[in-house]
Amino acid sequence: MIVVIDQHSGVPVFRQLRDQIRFQIISGMLESGEELPSTRALSEELGLNPMTISKAYSRLEMEGLVEKRPGLCLVVKQLDTNDIDTRRLTHFRQSAKSVAAVAKQLGLSKETAMEVFAEILDGANGDKERG
Amino acid sequence: MESAFELEKLTKKFGGLIALDDLTLSIPERSIVGLIGRNGSGKTTLLHHVVGLQLPSSGRCTTLGHPAATLGSEQLANIGVVWQENRFLDWMTVDKHLRYVASFYQNWDRDREQRLLGDLELDPAARVGTLSPGNAQKLGIILAVCHHPKLLLLDEPMSALDPISREQVLAFLIELLHEDQATTVISSHVMRDIESVVEWIVCLDRGRVSVDSSLDDLQDRYSEWQVTSARPIAGDFKEPWVLSQRTNEHKAHLLVRDAGELIEWFETKYDVDVQSQSLNLERIFPLLHRGSR
Repeated sequence: MIVVIDQHSGVPVFRQLRDQIRFQIISGMLESGEELPSTRALSEELGLNPMTISKAYSRLEMEGLVEKRPGLCLVVKQLDTNDIDTRRLTHFRQSAKSVAAVAKQLGLSKETAMEVFAEILDGANGDKERG
Repeated sequence: MESAFELEKLTKKFGGLIALDDLTLSIPERSIVGLIGRNGSGKTTLLHHVVGLQLPSSGRCTTLGHPAATLGSEQLANIGVVWQENRFLDWMTVDKHLRYVASFYQNWDRDREQRLLGDLELDPAARVGTLSPGNAQKLGIILAVCHHPKLLLLDEPMSALDPISREQVLAFLIELLHEDQATTVISSHVMRDIESVVEWIVCLDRGRVSVDSSLDDLQDRYSEWQVTSARPIAGDFKEPWVLSQRTNEHKAHLLVRDAGELIEWFETKYDVDVQSQSLNLERIFPLLHRGSR
């Protein structure tokens, strides 16, 4: 599991952590049954307060993305397809919002904005490195 | 949770000057706390009271369960302190100085000492009086942590350290929390230094506590809004939670407090578009002081 934290962005670090791990789970980068690093291990690896890590972990647990196993390690939960689809859409809608806001601020027409978006999507599909 | 130290209605006067003003504060055990505030806000005076170096004009301070004024050797052996201005025995070498201080403690951890000397690249043979300010701070930190203190007080400990040493010291503080379950209080006005390791922020403003909150909550409370409007913006926004603003015809830049839930309401009311962003500690800091803007 690779997470990159910006400690000076002003976004609470537990939230950055939670968001990145959540993304890795719903995108399938972290598979169900996979174990998350222990609070202590991750805290030392990232130089973060252990409280921050447990806070992020407990939020993910509350969201139903991970669960505690006997022995207290956290593993990625098995999610059904409907559930994953909903979560993926929610996530995407959130990211699309800020792009839409930029389009509005720049005064682009809906058609132009959609055109650019479609173009980029097509380009990204052809680009193998983006897998 | 037990508290590592506790101040109760503590006031400290120096002649006519009130350095600490009826201050009540409790620092929980096993935490890393950032003590912030402007110059002269009372940070060092507060730490002096915690170890009994200064006595309150009124009120009380309790440290590790004991009145701070009468801490005995048993309690002091559980405390580590790095002061802003270190007082060393300049004629000793680094190693001699370490041996000298180690002799006061039964549980001095030679392995930790050696590892820190290596990590921080401090030469044991160097004469203490010739150390650069940065290296003197490193020595101060090593001297304060090798007896496994339960309470570690750091008063501007990293002001002279280069970024690499700073990272190492911060990483070590996390380790200390794991290994010793220590409580650490770092006073600093370099917000970038402490932002990554502290979970709790106490801010002093002219001898009073202006903030006593988790860093997460603090970051959630304050944000910056970029407001875009299709129609010209008519004057300043009057909402009391708008802390500062710059507006021109179609754009406004606001600093707001506790307004996370109000974005949609605001967008509808003024027919505008709001992009909200978090603020880091450095930018929140000026907002925590009365009339200082």
